Amino acid sequence: MSIPYEYYIVLSGLLMVLGLIGIMVRRNIITVLISTELMLNSVNIAFVAFDMKLHEVAGQVFVFFILTIAAAEAAVGLGLIMAIYRLKKDVDIEKITELKL
Amino acid sequence: MDLNAISFWVFSTLAVLSAIYVVFGKNIIYTVLSLISTLIMVSGLFFTMGAELVGALQILIYAVAIVVFYVLVISTVPQFKGQATDGKYMLLSIPVGFIVFLELAYVSIYGVWQSSTGIFDEKVLSELGNAKAVGTMLFTKYLFPFEVASLILLVAMIGAIILGRKKEDVQGV
Repeated sequence: MSIPYEYYIVLSGLLMVLGLIGIMVRRNIITVLISTELMLNSVNIAFVAFDMKLHEVAGQVFVFFILTIAAAEAAVGLGLIMAIYRLKKDVDIEKITELKL
Repeated sequence: MDLNAISFWVFSTLAVLSAIYVVFGKNIIYTVLSLISTLIMVSGLFFTMGAELVGALQILIYAVAIVVFYVLVISTVPQFKGQATDGKYMLLSIPVGFIVFLELAYVSIYGVWQSSTGIFDEKVLSELGNAKAVGTMLFTKYLFPFEVASLILLVAMIGAIILGRKKEDVQGV
């Protein structure tokens, strides 16, 4: 354990911010969901890094749950994308504006 | 510089580089492939932190199962014609991202969480092993959330089937 845990936390923050930027700038819905996966991964890194620091394993148990939720989210989200595609014949975020005022 | 430090720098550099391509890349197939690269590098980082069980599950569930979902959907949706990224939001996202990064770093490093430490120090972990320690916690203290997670997977499966079904099938039933 020669690497201090702060390095892992900084890496986790970097990946989280990259995922956030991806959600903001991307125009294809599928890539927006992929950026969400990046954010979930950064949280996993932070959980395991805090575990290493605090001498705990509870964070790794929560990484389990995050993996489960990520699988469920991918299944439902991609099903929604397929439904949107069937309805609109497009996956561009700028074209899906029914709820816009 | 020992092996742990070298692997940390290699894995983290490659993870950030592939994450940058995930966010800004043009071709969606390359984007998914860089996502796989990022996930495998994150799994390597788990191994450097001594979390072998989670690292193995990361490869099994994320890099195989979840990415296959994305590849399937990309193969059914035709090629995306428009611009990959939106220049309108690019300028806004950089300062917002920087501020969020500063806040995350501040909260994580100077937070109040430092007060409590657990019992699984290096001696106990070398005796038990990581997988046994995590499994013990999972099936004793966190048993109820574990069962609820299985229910969530069931609900998600039913929801995905109903959402993915074609409209004609509904009328036919």
